[in-house]
Amino acid sequence: MTVLLDAERLSRNFGGLMAVNNVSFQVIEGEIFGLIGPNGAGKTTLFNLMTGLTPVSGGTLFYRGEKLTGLPPHRIAAQGIGRTFQNIRLFKGLSAIENIRVAQHVRTECGLWGGFFSTALSRAEEKNVEKKARELLKLIGLADRAEELAANFSYGDQRRLEIGRALALEPDVLLLDEPAAGMNAGEKHALTEFIRGIREQFKLTILLIEHHVPLVMNLCDRIAVLNFGELIAVGNPVDVQKNRAVIEAYLGTE
Amino acid sequence: MADFIQNYGFLLVTLVQQSLLAMSLYYPLMAGQLSLASPGFYAFGGYIAAIMATVDCFAPWRDLLGWLMFPLEWLIAGSASAVLAFLVGLPALRLKGIYLALATIAFVEILRVISLNLEITGGAIGIFGIPQLFESRWGYIWTFGPLLLLMLFFSYRLDRSRVGRAFKAIREDELAADAMGINPTRYKVLSFVIGAVLAGVVGAMSAPFLNTWNARQGTFDASINYLAFVLIGGSRSMWGPLLGAALLASLPEILRPLKDSRLILNGLVLVFASIYLPKGIAGALGRLKRSGK
Amino acid sequence: MAMDAVQFLQNFLNGISIGSVYAIFALGYTLVFSILGIINFAHGAIFTFGAYLTYCMAVGQFGIGGLLAGLQVPFRFSFPLSLLCGAVLSGIAGVLVERLAFRPLRSRGGDPLLALVSSLGVALVAVNVIQYLVGSEIYSFPSDVYGDIKPAFMFHIGSKIVVVRTVQMIIFAVSMLILALLGYLISFTIVGKALRAVAENPSTASLLGINVDRFILYTFFLSGFLGGMAGSLVGTSFGIAGPYFGVTFGLKGLAVIVIGGLGSIPGAVLGGLVIGLAEAFVPADYNAYKEAVAFAFLFAVLLVRPEGLLGRSLTQKV
Repeated sequence: MTVLLDAERLSRNFGGLMAVNNVSFQVIEGEIFGLIGPNGAGKTTLFNLMTGLTPVSGGTLFYRGEKLTGLPPHRIAAQGIGRTFQNIRLFKGLSAIENIRVAQHVRTECGLWGGFFSTALSRAEEKNVEKKARELLKLIGLADRAEELAANFSYGDQRRLEIGRALALEPDVLLLDEPAAGMNAGEKHALTEFIRGIREQFKLTILLIEHHVPLVMNLCDRIAVLNFGELIAVGNPVDVQKNRAVIEAYLGTE
Repeated sequence: MADFIQNYGFLLVTLVQQSLLAMSLYYPLMAGQLSLASPGFYAFGGYIAAIMATVDCFAPWRDLLGWLMFPLEWLIAGSASAVLAFLVGLPALRLKGIYLALATIAFVEILRVISLNLEITGGAIGIFGIPQLFESRWGYIWTFGPLLLLMLFFSYRLDRSRVGRAFKAIREDELAADAMGINPTRYKVLSFVIGAVLAGVVGAMSAPFLNTWNARQGTFDASINYLAFVLIGGSRSMWGPLLGAALLASLPEILRPLKDSRLILNGLVLVFASIYLPKGIAGALGRLKRSGK
Repeated sequence: MAMDAVQFLQNFLNGISIGSVYAIFALGYTLVFSILGIINFAHGAIFTFGAYLTYCMAVGQFGIGGLLAGLQVPFRFSFPLSLLCGAVLSGIAGVLVERLAFRPLRSRGGDPLLALVSSLGVALVAVNVIQYLVGSEIYSFPSDVYGDIKPAFMFHIGSKIVVVRTVQMIIFAVSMLILALLGYLISFTIVGKALRAVAENPSTASLLGINVDRFILYTFFLSGFLGGMAGSLVGTSFGIAGPYFGVTFGLKGLAVIVIGGLGSIPGAVLGGLVIGLAEAFVPADYNAYKEAVAFAFLFAVLLVRPEGLLGRSLTQKV
């Protein structure tokens, strides 16, 4: 039961508004950790703090004992933390397979020289990149549309592609920001199975922001609840569901 | 054939040279950076070559190396441009979009004014009487031509390589690229330096070609020309700069019979092409190809 | 190289004078930028257009080059009227530019870079048409253009003289008037409020019943008016150096708006004055570098504070 991620009093202040306020929690290796809360609770901001896209105003994040806060996003990605975005940030003008090739950047090292002279190293790398990209596309079920522009995919397919892209990083930790948004019941079910599947296959630890409560209760091992930037509860789904503060946050007081 | 070369040799070489300068803008654009700095590096490289070719303190080198002096000029111009690009690019590339474009415009203007006032650059008159590498203007196809082929090959390789993918990712979405492990600053500066080195080397090659070199070689409207070449040729394709330059740089010559009206027509082409060919010529051709499948 | 008080005063006056023209010109850019988010590269051409128009109306004939060489114009207006007409016609030119270069692109939802190229194409056409019509030699306004008023006034302070040219006083008066009117328009009238709404969010403004296209038209008219007015004032002040004299001015105008803060109206004014004063205080020995001052400032501002003096901070929502 190793602690993979250790968040200590993470805070983010936007000119007086505490978007994230002293949030502390731990994520255990191999678990699926849910993050829920009403709109505007600070969930995405928390993800942004963890992946370096937004600088912290206070607090520290540790990953396998190493300090992540203060590192730029590309260094955090190199450490093995991948993510998807609430608003889908695929490389729209690139093809599906190109999106996945791009994300393998940190796992490869060929530079200008190698690329130009087509050295043995670069050729071997490219072959590998290609192979892995095809495999990932197959995994997410988009193998037959590899060359299509990412912009032309349906909303649901784009979300899957984004997850595929994040997987190309070969991460140990995957942060999914509302991966089920806009999906119908059948698709949500498939997604749940998919997430369980990739956890097994890639030995991932997954953090998940989701609004659809049944999905979260079903899928997650533990859940943290945010409200107005503060952590109001953390624990297993059953306990959290019964927690007074959580009920109040969602439904208001009597 | 000989007549054709006589009349059009200069034009053809100029077209190749303009294509190269358009390409120097294409590389930063590939990484999403609108840099209008090329004329600055072009002028810079040209001055280096011109100074090395005419100034007395380099005379012993010239005597020693003979025609090898020219490649040395290119090498030094390219290296110096790389250094300058790194120094300017590192702070400037923190800016985005129009702000970056304006910073590069400022850079070009500052260089231009400096070159107008330094003794070593010959002030407003510039440097003249630069020794020729070839006897005729057409001869320079043997410098510009291979360079163009080299750069086309380079673009081809770049497009399919890890670095090229990094550029494209940054162009699409810099933040997402960062989150996918690509260091934006590093690759933006790299794309900028590549463009600068190319412009600098072309400048060094152009100094003997044009025989004189002065501050008029590095002006803002030149960069707009190159931008137009790339946009109208197609900014997403390595052939774009070539197509755009071929069309737009030759237009004033083709229209020469119309004398004063040719620049007007040039301007009209810019307006119509930007409205009706938004993806450039390469883009339009690509669409035709796809719809024909 | 100490400057005495009189020299300081002279420089200050010169700086304010040219600075206010920069401000007026820059405002033309700012208005279009706040509404459409793009830089109108044809602004410099309208500047040139306005200058020549005012010349032709105030002096009554064209020069020695171009198609219209020596052509006598049947009327001759007083200077203030010429200035006004020149500016109004420039405003119309501005609207034409919008129709030709920007509207077709907007309806096709193109890359904003293409708007840049398109406006540049228009500028190229305009400048060359002008050259074709009036030639490229220097046009100087005759010194009796103000009618009975002297071209310059000299004030004696101690043993030194401070020269204030009439045109400088005109520039100052006109600038203050324009800025006051514009300020009033933007802040206190319905038209101004609508303009600000469109600048803030065109689709919402449209939903609220504002005819966005019409307001874009108004904006371009205003922008052209300002550009043409600036051109006429500079032309009167320094002469028209040829059809391309709007190009460098156009670039400096860009420097001004960035320094002041892109999209900020008070910023354009402040930026203009700052650059005007900076140029005026360049020591005589370094006169040749005066042209680079604006760009050096621009580069410095971009590195240290890209949002300019009065612009809003450029943070991005993730």
